[in-house]
Amino acid sequence: MTSAARAFVEGVRWELLRLRRSRRLALFLIPPVAGPIGTALAWRLLAVPNPGTAEVLGLFVTAGLAALVALDLGALAAGEDLAVHADRLEFALPQSPRAATAGRLLPPIGGAVAADLAGAAAIVAAAPRLVPTGGAGTPVLLDPTHLLWGLVGFLLLLGGVAAAAATTTRSPAQGLVAGVLAGVVAAGISAEFLVQGTLSAATPIAMALGGLVAIALAVGGSGARGH
Amino acid sequence: MGAPVVELRGVQKRFGGRTVLENLSFAIAPGEAVGYLGPNGAGKSTTLRLLSGLLAPDRGEVRLGGFDPIADRTRALAGVGALVETPALPPYLTPRDLLGHVARLRGFSGPSAAAAAARAGARLGIAPSLDRPYGTLSTGLQRRALLAAAAVGEPPLLLLDEPTLGLDPAARGDLRRLLRAVADSGTTLFLSTHLLEDVEAVCDRVLFLKEGRLVGDEAVGSRRDPVGRRRRVDLTFAEELPDPALALLAAPDADCRRLSPRSVRVEFDGGSAAQAALVARAVRAGLPLESIGPAEGDLARRYLERVGREEAT
Repeated sequence: MTSAARAFVEGVRWELLRLRRSRRLALFLIPPVAGPIGTALAWRLLAVPNPGTAEVLGLFVTAGLAALVALDLGALAAGEDLAVHADRLEFALPQSPRAATAGRLLPPIGGAVAADLAGAAAIVAAAPRLVPTGGAGTPVLLDPTHLLWGLVGFLLLLGGVAAAAATTTRSPAQGLVAGVLAGVVAAGISAEFLVQGTLSAATPIAMALGGLVAIALAVGGSGARGH
Repeated sequence: MGAPVVELRGVQKRFGGRTVLENLSFAIAPGEAVGYLGPNGAGKSTTLRLLSGLLAPDRGEVRLGGFDPIADRTRALAGVGALVETPALPPYLTPRDLLGHVARLRGFSGPSAAAAAARAGARLGIAPSLDRPYGTLSTGLQRRALLAAAAVGEPPLLLLDEPTLGLDPAARGDLRRLLRAVADSGTTLFLSTHLLEDVEAVCDRVLFLKEGRLVGDEAVGSRRDPVGRRRRVDLTFAEELPDPALALLAAPDADCRRLSPRSVRVEFDGGSAAQAALVARAVRAGLPLESIGPAEGDLARRYLERVGREEAT
């Protein structure tokens, strides 16, 4: 194993240990458990007209919960150690700070995406069974499959921006605020495109790319060398 | 003397418009215990950050074992244990978590990583607290946990920034003795501090830093220096020492001088073995030896000469 690979693996391991010790690991259960349950209740209360609309509603609810997890844990993974200057311990060790940071961002952001996908899978499986197909003539707002993957791009954007801002400001709170702002802007732009009828695959792809760029900034900014 | 394990050549570091280090050059040979003395703001911690790869110099070169700690970080820091400034851990992590993490990054795996972590914890006297959350530890125990992290795997070079910070007097004494023992075992020590007592108790050589410039590089008078300067120690006895007893302490290479009725200053050639022989002479002669330590006063005077009275701490 190369030294960068070892630093990456140890970064993943260290972050998982932190999640376990701080009991934040349980947050990953919220999207796949609370998402489908809450969604099923909403289906009943709102009397959604068809399974497609039910899936769209459920995917939004689950991704909303996963977004909170990605924001919170992404900001903490990048900024919590910096806030207490633990980086002076971590990055004075024989490891690449960038590989270590990349490893540390994988569990929170990858975990939030995985939790969202698990919740989405439950919703997609349950919708045709729980929602009557009587309203099949009512148009569905969005294609559920497109929405599913579009929300993954949204989650990457939120987690990435939160991590990058937390790295820059050395503060998880600031990272969280930046991530929320990015989410509001991205959702607003997407809604505008939807109203205009110009929403396409380019929007979530741009969000995903923005998220990856933000993650790269967080990774590249770790172990900053001039401050 | 082998190739230097630490080397700075013409290093300059500026923050904004302020020059923190100016044309800083020094080298440390394997096995040396070097103190780095200067007032707050002199640039000591910046030097440590440069050495541990946390900062890059604006000008000049930094080398650890011949490697650049920024460009070749893994090799440069492979044999280095560093404690820079006052880091902390998130409160929910335990010292064992940290030590295990460090051990794995130093190449230990599985049970050997756990054993290396436990060994470092025991060495720093925190074995009973290894599984307590960091946030519940006293300041002293927290500091020891961080020092233990630097010591995991017994690296051949230790870079320590104010290691006795936050420790009570007894723990401070214990740590100084431990660091001296570590130095005597051949580990190279670079000790940044503003406490003269830390340097007197641990170091062979001292660098004085003032406003980012090196203003002195000399032997600590109380210890054998690298070029053979004589070591000076003060012996304190439990009761008044009669004049004839002084002769029992003397040897061909050791001169004795009374400081008070119960204390004597001895100056001699040689290192720890010669000091051990001096103690053995005192014990053989039945003298009630109470303590032995570096000659006092000498370093304080030199610090004031180099750094200035208004800067003294």
